[in-house]
Amino acid sequence: MSTVKIPIGPQHPALKEPVNFTVEVDGEQVVDAKVRIGYNHRGIEKAAELRTYVRDIYLLERVCGICSHSHTTTFVQGVEELLDEEVPRRGLYIRTIVCELERLHSHMLWLGVAGHEIGFDTLLHYTWRDRELVMDFLEMISGNRVNYAMNTIGGVRRDISKENIPKIKKGMDIFRERLNYYLKLCINEPTVLKRTQGIGVLPPDIARKLGAVGPTLRASGINMDCRKDDPNAAYDEVPFDVVTWDTCDVFGRVAVRILEMVQSCNMIQWLLDHLPKDEIRLKLKRRVPEGEVLSRYEAPRGELIHYIKSNGSDKPERVKIRTPTLANWPSVEYMLKGGYIADVPITIASIDPCLSCTDRITFVNTEKEKTWTMDLESLRRYGIEFYKKNGR
Amino acid sequence: MGLKDKLVTWARVKSPWVFHMNTGACNACDIEVIAALMPRYDIERFGIILVGSPRHADVMIGTGSITKQMTPRFKRLYEQMPEPKFVIAVGNCAISGGVFKGCYNIEGGYDRIIPVDMYVPGCPPKPEAIIDAVAKLIGKLQGG
Amino acid sequence: MSEPEAEKAKPKPKPSSKEDEKLKAEIEKAFGAAVEVWIPRAKRIFIKVKPGDHRKVIQWMKDNWDVQHVTTISGVDKGETFEIVYHLYKYQGYRTYPNIKTEIPKNNPKIETIVDILPSANFYEREAHDLLGIVFENHPNLKRLILPDDWPEGVYPLRKDWLPEGVE
Repeated sequence: MSTVKIPIGPQHPALKEPVNFTVEVDGEQVVDAKVRIGYNHRGIEKAAELRTYVRDIYLLERVCGICSHSHTTTFVQGVEELLDEEVPRRGLYIRTIVCELERLHSHMLWLGVAGHEIGFDTLLHYTWRDRELVMDFLEMISGNRVNYAMNTIGGVRRDISKENIPKIKKGMDIFRERLNYYLKLCINEPTVLKRTQGIGVLPPDIARKLGAVGPTLRASGINMDCRKDDPNAAYDEVPFDVVTWDTCDVFGRVAVRILEMVQSCNMIQWLLDHLPKDEIRLKLKRRVPEGEVLSRYEAPRGELIHYIKSNGSDKPERVKIRTPTLANWPSVEYMLKGGYIADVPITIASIDPCLSCTDRITFVNTEKEKTWTMDLESLRRYGIEFYKKNGR
Repeated sequence: MGLKDKLVTWARVKSPWVFHMNTGACNACDIEVIAALMPRYDIERFGIILVGSPRHADVMIGTGSITKQMTPRFKRLYEQMPEPKFVIAVGNCAISGGVFKGCYNIEGGYDRIIPVDMYVPGCPPKPEAIIDAVAKLIGKLQGG
Repeated sequence: MSEPEAEKAKPKPKPSSKEDEKLKAEIEKAFGAAVEVWIPRAKRIFIKVKPGDHRKVIQWMKDNWDVQHVTTISGVDKGETFEIVYHLYKYQGYRTYPNIKTEIPKNNPKIETIVDILPSANFYEREAHDLLGIVFENHPNLKRLILPDDWPEGVYPLRKDWLPEGVE
């Protein structure tokens, strides 16, 4: 059996991001895979120690543009715990509403990108058009489509006005109808099924052993969700179900994300109906007493954790961030084994990787001593052609 | 301008081909660039196509501050673009480093490495601002 | 479907840490004076151990509580020492988050790996090695994880005595 080592520098499908994989292949099948990350390392943890807590909110918001509110929520609730202060209920509810709106926009973005990966560009255009509905609501509430700057230490910065509440609720009804359409589409459309069923299989015991999180883990039947296990903000009050699926493959991850979006629509409507009459923020001290806190939140991609240590001044001693994508990389290495080269883009995309960097995929045929490069765009086209030829 | 030059300028103005490059950003600017291509804003009605390789591109749209690892690759990609080429730096990070100025592993803004033609400020700039920048660039192209 | 005109919302009561207390008793029974356990709030158990004992405690947690998930491993530079915190997750039964702390001297930052017990610790140990210079003995692949390839050897950015250029 002759194997060929292929370095892959993937990009997040439409969002070129770098990660470098070295993939060993035998013919068309992948035998082994190793990941090398770090092309988007910006030194944020160090910068967070040199800035005050308030400035850190704006720094951490830009760790990732797609889940910016997740990072600020986790950070701010950690600092609030260190200060031992209760945020007013209305502030918590609004924080949760924006969290769920972010989940909607992130999953919808992913659905379009996954469609693009399997050559289903119509899905990309449809989903991103529907996503604009959520972006409009985010702009209505916070003033910006991305990087909303809603969180502050002690609550949220803006209120949701009475006139906007019925508009958002009606928008959620429309969105839910579109989601039902996408669910029917994914279950019935043969192209989608053939490119996602049985691909990127991750059995539940391996998923737990390798430390997978988020929809990747829930599609393998494990119901781990920080919103239920360690509820923060208003999650201990709003009723919702943890969505799991037991096919352990890429199709399971698609299904989990669509159903989670339906749950989010329901949650947003419930929260808007039950918004308490209250303040939205407390004015808190700038100096944080010495202590340490573990702050956790279920970001759209999985469990996000901030470990914050304070030293009595207005700057943190240590901010440790572990994003969900880092936890999922070992699972990707496992999932690529045994699949075809053509499945590589959709398998990597199925964990919804959040990196930033572009890199190339270098193919090395050690037997023939030949090297050639393919960027992810070409690899994606290669995959589509491969499946067309093989009757999929 | 001779006939050949006029033809080439007309082709470029009618349909600039764009290459999107992310050099270490948080993705906020990237999703707004992609949103500009999507049905709501639809930059494609101006004849703009996103291409996968710098060798086919007239315009590079770059987002993100440059990490030290990306600097040599970035220069290489810029050199692969055929003349005449234009660069649009989208977002505060591409202009000056943005929030990450002063962090280790960050080089800074784009104009430290390559010449930039258009700066689009914002964190992130809205798709309308990006379309405005491309339209202004087309106007510049028309000027010869 | 809206609530009737509500009075000002009452603050929520803090969740109880009774279950965590039971787990604390279990650990103290198994390890006695070798561990120092405290519970700052519900669902957070902190355990302080000596550097060699961390493997025993983690193995015990795997065998008795079916702990398999390492959330992350934090390294903190405390000046003369490094404090290493293993953040774990107990999934079966009552779900809570045990955290194991240990301290090693900065001039000899070595500690045994836990990758053979909990494979999900792999990347986090590499990250701590990359950024702080902590050596995890017997780790199968302690190579660079996130710093660039041409970053100079022996320079650890997250140590307190290192500052980026231009910052005083």
